[in-house]
Amino acid sequence: MAMVESQSVIYRKLAAHVFLWFFLALIIFPLLMVIAISFRTGNFAVGDIIPSNPTLDHWRLALGMSIIDESGRTIPPPFPVLLWLWNSVKVAVISAILIVALSTTCAYAFARLRFSGRSLLLKAMLIFQMFPAVLALVAYYALFSRITEYFPPLGLNTHPGLIFAYLGGIALHVWTIKGYFETIDKSLEESAMLDGASPWQAFRLILLPLSVPILAVVFILAFITAITEYPVASILLQDEAKLTLAVGSQYYLNPQEYKWGDFAAAAVMSGLPITLVFLLAQRWLVGGLTAGGVKG
Amino acid sequence: MAVTTVSIEGAGTSATHWLKWAVLGLIALINLYAVTLMYIQGETVFALVFLILVATGLYVFAAERAYVHRYIFPGVATMFIFIVFPLAYTIWIAFTNFSASNILTFERARHYHLSQTYRIEGQNYDFSLYAAGPETYRLALTAKTGERFISEPVELRIPDAKAQPPAATAPIEIDLTAIDTPPDQPPLAVKELVRLRGVMQNVVAHLPDHSDLRMSGMRQFSATRPLFQVLPSAQGGDGSILVNQQTKERIAPDMRLGFYRQINAEGEFTGPGIAPGFSVFVGWKNFLRVLTDPGVQGPFLQIFGWTLTFSFLSVVFTLAIGTVLASLVQWEGLAGRGLYRLLLILPYAVPAFISILVFRGLFNQNFGEINLLLSQVFGIRPGWFNDPTLARTMLLIVNTWLGYPYMMILCMGLLKAIPADLYEASAMDGSNFIRDFFSITLPILMKPLTPLLIASFAFNFNNFVLVQLLTQGRPDIIGAQTPAGTTDLLVTYTYRIAFEGSGQDYGLASAIATLIFIMVGILALINIKLMRVDR
Amino acid sequence: MADVKIDHLVKNYNPGVARDVLRDINLDIKEGEFVVFVGPSGCGKSTLLRAIAGLDDITSGDLYIGGKRMNDVPPVNRGVGMVFQSYALYPHMTVRENLAFGLKIKKIDKAIAKERVAQASAMLGLDSFLERKPKALSGGQRQRVAIGRALVQHPDVFLLDEPLSNLDAALRVKTRIELARMHQERGSTTIYVTHDQVEAMTLANKIVVLSPLTDDGAASNLEQFGPPLDLYHAPANRFVAGFIGSPKMNFLDGMIEEAGEQRTRIKLDTGISLTASVDSSRGRAGDKVEVGIRPEHTVMLDDPRADNRVTGTVQVAEHLGAETFVYLEVGGKDFTVKVRPETPAAPQSQFDIGVPADACYLFDAKGQAFPRTARFSRT
Repeated sequence: MAMVESQSVIYRKLAAHVFLWFFLALIIFPLLMVIAISFRTGNFAVGDIIPSNPTLDHWRLALGMSIIDESGRTIPPPFPVLLWLWNSVKVAVISAILIVALSTTCAYAFARLRFSGRSLLLKAMLIFQMFPAVLALVAYYALFSRITEYFPPLGLNTHPGLIFAYLGGIALHVWTIKGYFETIDKSLEESAMLDGASPWQAFRLILLPLSVPILAVVFILAFITAITEYPVASILLQDEAKLTLAVGSQYYLNPQEYKWGDFAAAAVMSGLPITLVFLLAQRWLVGGLTAGGVKG
Repeated sequence: MAVTTVSIEGAGTSATHWLKWAVLGLIALINLYAVTLMYIQGETVFALVFLILVATGLYVFAAERAYVHRYIFPGVATMFIFIVFPLAYTIWIAFTNFSASNILTFERARHYHLSQTYRIEGQNYDFSLYAAGPETYRLALTAKTGERFISEPVELRIPDAKAQPPAATAPIEIDLTAIDTPPDQPPLAVKELVRLRGVMQNVVAHLPDHSDLRMSGMRQFSATRPLFQVLPSAQGGDGSILVNQQTKERIAPDMRLGFYRQINAEGEFTGPGIAPGFSVFVGWKNFLRVLTDPGVQGPFLQIFGWTLTFSFLSVVFTLAIGTVLASLVQWEGLAGRGLYRLLLILPYAVPAFISILVFRGLFNQNFGEINLLLSQVFGIRPGWFNDPTLARTMLLIVNTWLGYPYMMILCMGLLKAIPADLYEASAMDGSNFIRDFFSITLPILMKPLTPLLIASFAFNFNNFVLVQLLTQGRPDIIGAQTPAGTTDLLVTYTYRIAFEGSGQDYGLASAIATLIFIMVGILALINIKLMRVDR
Repeated sequence: MADVKIDHLVKNYNPGVARDVLRDINLDIKEGEFVVFVGPSGCGKSTLLRAIAGLDDITSGDLYIGGKRMNDVPPVNRGVGMVFQSYALYPHMTVRENLAFGLKIKKIDKAIAKERVAQASAMLGLDSFLERKPKALSGGQRQRVAIGRALVQHPDVFLLDEPLSNLDAALRVKTRIELARMHQERGSTTIYVTHDQVEAMTLANKIVVLSPLTDDGAASNLEQFGPPLDLYHAPANRFVAGFIGSPKMNFLDGMIEEAGEQRTRIKLDTGISLTASVDSSRGRAGDKVEVGIRPEHTVMLDDPRADNRVTGTVQVAEHLGAETFVYLEVGGKDFTVKVRPETPAAPQSQFDIGVPADACYLFDAKGQAFPRTARFSRT
């Protein structure tokens, strides 16, 4: 419509821009702040908010390099941040792959095959996915102590154990993938079966290649969930060298040993890649999120 | 589909057939062994769960008619292990006194008491070690009377302190034989003995006369005897009563308290519980404590109230900000919508554990940048972590910051679905921007949003990470029997009862967790109802 | 090439709970025949096709293809090729890969496979699209790929499930003719499902009319199996008579006034009497009956063959140029007649039409047809 914008619309737009910029300033302030702090000398907020004499010391420590302070003492990195990041990425990637595999096969059966207990299981999954793991931590701990006794590689204080524990959270993903499968014409697989494909081949050669978009969504969601998961990891992991980033990073803000600047550098360094992954993927994720529930 | 009845072609070659059965058989054998092991150790629950899982798995992969179930078994099994079983186990713990002081099973507690020993005075032996190879030594004992004994070379390996799990401390049994003269090599120096002290404490030396000796000092071994022995049935024992060999006192397990206690001649319990306790079934006791014990009930109700308030306000705030921003960002005429959208989503993209910790630092009373600003502008330094009201306000601020982008994303998707002609029609009726929002946008959004809002409520109800990383529940509630804070949610409260402090009252924590299960379960059911109405 | 024999076939998705979808179906489809399953939606025609293909299992009864019992044989080993209503082209594969998929799965020699794909592609005129994905094809092209995919398998029996329903009207006619030509050239046994009786009449050697099962305890939902013109002239029952023919046959209620072997006198509920060339010897005077008259079998009153006269009120008249349809109301029932072009028929006016005795069909109270003793032809 080629209409002349009325005066009121222009004012309204101006008001919207002002409001949005004000709001954004408020929202982004903590994030900009933490970047500034990561370059500020020392671990305490004294004096300026914008660093007057920026230093890379916090970043050196975060990257695992030692630094030498004014008195000439060598200060080793307080925590193995890069190792924690690596642990987090490792656990998240492997568990996301396994979650995609498990929930895809499950979703295929729920979407395409008839079997006893199908609708009961589907409903049960919807209910159970609302119970947070944090409520059953005692049981988790007990469960993993038992596993440790019989099969230590999958027990307490191991990454495989943690990955194993994360595999329980597939209910939501099964629903998401199932919904997607149901939008794919069933006669494609029937046609493949007439062509001589076994059910497994029909699944692998026809359905899977067509589902890549939703599998990517589930992978990223599972990856982010795993990388930000705190309670279960805090119970299962004990050695400093085995911690994930989510568990380890809180040690920086110990009241006895407050490492605010070091934390800021570590947080920016490790948070940035995850944030970027999320921002890049958000277009595809929005659909998956609205279909599912709440970010966990 | 006919898939169910069609046998898989091609898989019938006999070689793969045999291989499949061989592998299944092997798995069955290994697991049967593990189940038996667990059962023998008294882990009946775990043995049963494991047995059910393995048996179902084997059936599903062996039986042709369960072909379809092969697709769901792995997923459903992991959900069973990590969701259903922990839930059931938690509910079960809620009915026991399982806690730091009552952590063992009855069998293990009994075994612990029976393996206690005491030293018999006067039967002391000096000992020395002779090196016989790498980490291999011969143990030599000399009695006060001059009798000498020596062992074959045995390996005494210092356990790796960092080993996970800690190396087992099974006793090292060493047999000694009598000799006349000491070996003609120098014994180990004291320094070496100190180094080997840890291992030596596990050594049980058997003399030819069948008496057992243990290390009782830096250079000394002494004869020991079990502290407790089962009261023989000839003296009226039923197998459960133990007799202290030193004091001749009798103790028996009190199955209501979960401790061994001293009993008098009539068999009545007289003494206090003797550690370590064992876990027993206590019925509704934990639930009654939550509901009636003032030291527990008071904090529980207060925390419950705060949990509801927190969840409700979080949903309201995030929804309000989210819908307003979504309508703004969806406004076709607004320039730079894409950039706004990206920046507004940012708090959601940053991992929550990082942003929460950032806020923990920024809100710090003395070193935080927020107070730095406030003191420069207004000259105040609020104690965000010490004042209950301020701490709660801070939680809500941070949670709104974290949560509004999610609501915004949801609303943006839903707003797209509202046909534009609705607004055009209302514009013809002379409506304005604000009226449109309340009379068209909001009512249309509410219906599909309701189940998502309930899910969001349930999520915030259990928002463990926020509270644990930001305030850890502090400041504490005065006069509470259990660790309890004014900013605690029920989940963090449960966590602290279970894992914080000395109490580690798993039973009570599980009772509260069970109550939360019930509340969340109700929310879930409501949600399923609503979603079906929606479809 | 093979014949298909269906013996007492029953299909029920949930036996004991749900109603049968197919009941007691018996068919003997000869080698090289083009058979069309036709019926309204819900009659189980697609289910029957899927049961032959092996995509749905058979609840009871037997299926033979080429003399071999196929009940428990997986789809791929039945020697059937199928074209789905949605075409079911694999979206992530090119046309060539789509055509070759089944051959690859069956591990057929690459040279042979290539030749077969080339053959099918040439026959269907797909050569210039071979490297395209289905998304980049028009509806008609997709349809041909779907047919090609079935062809390369060299099936003994060719199954088509409403293959034309997704095409526009013009393309539908064109493809219909192509299909008929293809069948003439190849001569393979073909089974074709449609709800469109025109497609059925034009394509089929034989038509199978199926009806939806209700709870009335019918013994079978196979209404009639026979050549198209038999179904048109000698429908076994009221259902087939109503289904075959366009526009639909008109029905008027009445009772037998005078039964006879050659001619029957019927008194319609509207009061008038009617003579029909029908053998009603198994009926008696006073039996309730329905008279069926095809719109195209009516004549003008001045026509010498106008043995009976039916009078109705004009609702609408459609002048199509080559012909005119007049929609009447006769005794509270709709009655359509096809008349000479430009016959005047003002709405709400009275309209008289002649009905030859040879044009009448007669059905008893159960809907079963009385045998006709003559076949009316307009010219």
